[in-house]
Amino acid sequence: MKLASVLAVLLVLSVASLAADGPRVQFDTSHIGPRQMEDVTGRNIPRDWGRAWQTLAIAYAQNRPDLLSRYFTGFAQQKLTAGIAAQEKSGVRTRYIDHGHKLAAYFYSPDGGAIELHDTADLEIQVLDGNNLVHSERVTLRYIGLMTPAADHWEVRLLESVPSF
Amino acid sequence: MRRFLPAACLTVCLMAALALAAQELQLPPTVSAGSGFAIATSGSGSATFYLIGPSYTGRREVQLGQEIRVRPQEVRSAGRYLAILRSGGASQSGSFYVVAAKPASLSFLAHPSRIPVGQRGSVIGVAFVFDNWHNLLRRPEDVEFRLATKNAPAAAQSVRTRDGAAWILMNSGSKAGNAQFVAALDGIEQTRVIQQVASDPCHLQIRAERSPRGILVQTAPVRDCSGNPVSDGTVVTFTANGPAGLSTVDVPVKKDIAQVELNIPGPATISVASGVVMGNEVKVGGQP
Amino acid sequence: MKLAVLLVLATIALVILGFVFPVHQATTPGIVSGEALPGVGASTNTPEAAVRSLLGDVQARDWNRAYSLLANSNVVPKEAFVHDVSGNYGSLRTFSSLEGSRTRVLNENGDQALVRADMHWSTAVGPIYDVKELKVVQQGGNWKVEWPLEKQPTVPPQVVPVNYLRWDVISRGPEDDWGTQNVDSPRVRIVSMNAVQHGSTLVIVGEVVNEDTVPAFVDINAILIGKNDQNLDQESSFDKIQHTLLPKQVTPYRIDFPGYNLSQVKSVRMDAKAMLVPASADPVIAVLDQHEQTSVLGRKVLSGNLLNESGRIVNIAQVLATYYDSNGKVIWVSDGYVDRALLPQTPEPFAVDMPDSTVGKVQSYRVTVNHYIRQQS
Repeated sequence: MKLASVLAVLLVLSVASLAADGPRVQFDTSHIGPRQMEDVTGRNIPRDWGRAWQTLAIAYAQNRPDLLSRYFTGFAQQKLTAGIAAQEKSGVRTRYIDHGHKLAAYFYSPDGGAIELHDTADLEIQVLDGNNLVHSERVTLRYIGLMTPAADHWEVRLLESVPSF
Repeated sequence: MRRFLPAACLTVCLMAALALAAQELQLPPTVSAGSGFAIATSGSGSATFYLIGPSYTGRREVQLGQEIRVRPQEVRSAGRYLAILRSGGASQSGSFYVVAAKPASLSFLAHPSRIPVGQRGSVIGVAFVFDNWHNLLRRPEDVEFRLATKNAPAAAQSVRTRDGAAWILMNSGSKAGNAQFVAALDGIEQTRVIQQVASDPCHLQIRAERSPRGILVQTAPVRDCSGNPVSDGTVVTFTANGPAGLSTVDVPVKKDIAQVELNIPGPATISVASGVVMGNEVKVGGQP
Repeated sequence: MKLAVLLVLATIALVILGFVFPVHQATTPGIVSGEALPGVGASTNTPEAAVRSLLGDVQARDWNRAYSLLANSNVVPKEAFVHDVSGNYGSLRTFSSLEGSRTRVLNENGDQALVRADMHWSTAVGPIYDVKELKVVQQGGNWKVEWPLEKQPTVPPQVVPVNYLRWDVISRGPEDDWGTQNVDSPRVRIVSMNAVQHGSTLVIVGEVVNEDTVPAFVDINAILIGKNDQNLDQESSFDKIQHTLLPKQVTPYRIDFPGYNLSQVKSVRMDAKAMLVPASADPVIAVLDQHEQTSVLGRKVLSGNLLNESGRIVNIAQVLATYYDSNGKVIWVSDGYVDRALLPQTPEPFAVDMPDSTVGKVQSYRVTVNHYIRQQS
């Protein structure tokens, strides 16, 4: 009974944390082209990018690839799902502690169907083997992302860490 | 003897740890996706090697002093990889980046699927270049875009990618029909079909004559200003103003022509329209 | 335990309150009940009583009794009478019931009289009002009604080829690769918009055209923006529009905002939504002999005839009338349902209201027809 209660609380907390707005994201559209960003899109992109990262962190922490489908699609979803499967198989987990993002819109396709983003992410990464912490680092990483519109939000279709922009 | 063994173990462990601490992991800064490589180690004893990447997490036991082989299948996804070597409580780590290999596929977005003829800069093509493992190719590549319709010369232009993306705006042709819109790079091609359709009707003309049942009204072949016949099913509205009042009927074009027989015995003035385009007026006398 | 007792006590208290202070049933808005119709077997000793008795039988759907009150049953077959009153061919009348009526003797002379019956039908799409002037004659001490059955023109048996265009749609599936083309939604354009005050209702009227080469299912939404840039309300055109538009087809639309005034509104944001749908260019329905006239009730109406030029029955037709002023601006859109089916090649009359506010301002008008055809299994 106590275990069930604890699990229920954890479930509620995880859902509640998913429902929250995610990490802080600063968004810069000053270098975007060829299409100019609409006001609504300019609000939704950083919101959904933050939520995607929040989802990624939870999915990796709990080995739950099913959580990815809300904000990830295509190649990004496939690779992250494979990553979680691999970590579950190996018993080694990666934990992401997100300290915020500086997101810049780089390319917005003329028909509005795709946005390429440059993200500078402040992350704390911990690697655990079972319950043993084997590695911890705080790093600034650069990511290239591709987002495409879904029914009522934007999804991450590509997420790749790069050495430089 | 009892005092000797623990001290000996402690010494060996300390020496291994020192050996580990004395060296850094020799890692290349970048590796092409799907290319295996070796990490040199020194020292002796066993250690645990961790490799964590975007779609791979692995852990295995290795021997210090021997090369650690990173297999091609472990580094297929582009991104940052962490390599960690642990022995006796001490660890060494390093990171490297996997970058895309050679181009293997294109994701080609073409918009719209239907467009009237003669529209400038209205056909949009966006291409993203990927390698065999769906990694984005960031280095510049030249993508050729071609838009071709039957019986018309193809329009082609080469565009250099920036961070994996290339885009273009092209004009729709003057002839209606299916246009092949192609994005090509190094023998890799993706084709989309853009349906070029007739524009608004132009010079809408009717003729009307008495028939046994009333007035037979027929359009001339309905075409746009470039001479393309409008699509079958395009609605043409016939209006007849007669003594009994106004009569209207929406008739779809069939094989370029719209026609209707209006049951109006008296004289009438017939006019025609399609969408927001008006045609001519014809006056028809009453039945004899 | 204490909580359970408290809940039981609260329930009992609320039930008692419900009996002591009952809520009176509010009258159903929008339905004019008229005079109550008499029950079956009512008296027919006056012309008006005979008509009311007949309508009472119709309301009760007692066709035998109703038919027995006809004076001209020798020329009006029972089946024709029943179909005329209750509808057939899946028409709107078949989904209707007589809610009430008002009767008035227009004149009475010896053994003949003329009685006007204003009937209110409750239908699936709202109330429909029908007016009949019934000749009533005295036969053997009782008054009976001469039912005015309209003789339908006989359409000779024939084959009507259907070779108008039909469109089907295949969309991309969920498994399709990113980049696989999908069919674009149709391009539609709002060509006009006009905000008019109609009593206590703010009404947005206008026209929209399908500029594409494929059929579109269209809906128009409007948002009223107040003086402080706040959203006041949002409504859609609902059924005051011809939803399925063929290529280059134009439809009027009307959006009603009850309780709003023009003075409250700074601007109106319009949104036309269009979806690609399967459609057919058949049937073609001609709108003949449109003219303004005054109805028997003294109201201005736009009337005419609908002619179904195809070979199949149109079960339900809705007429949309657009009224333009001398500048070609849309000043009103009215609509009405025809409660009889449109038989092939057979004219069917229609009439739609012209509001008093438009009288004198209407320079021209245009009528379009929405139709519904029951699918055959």
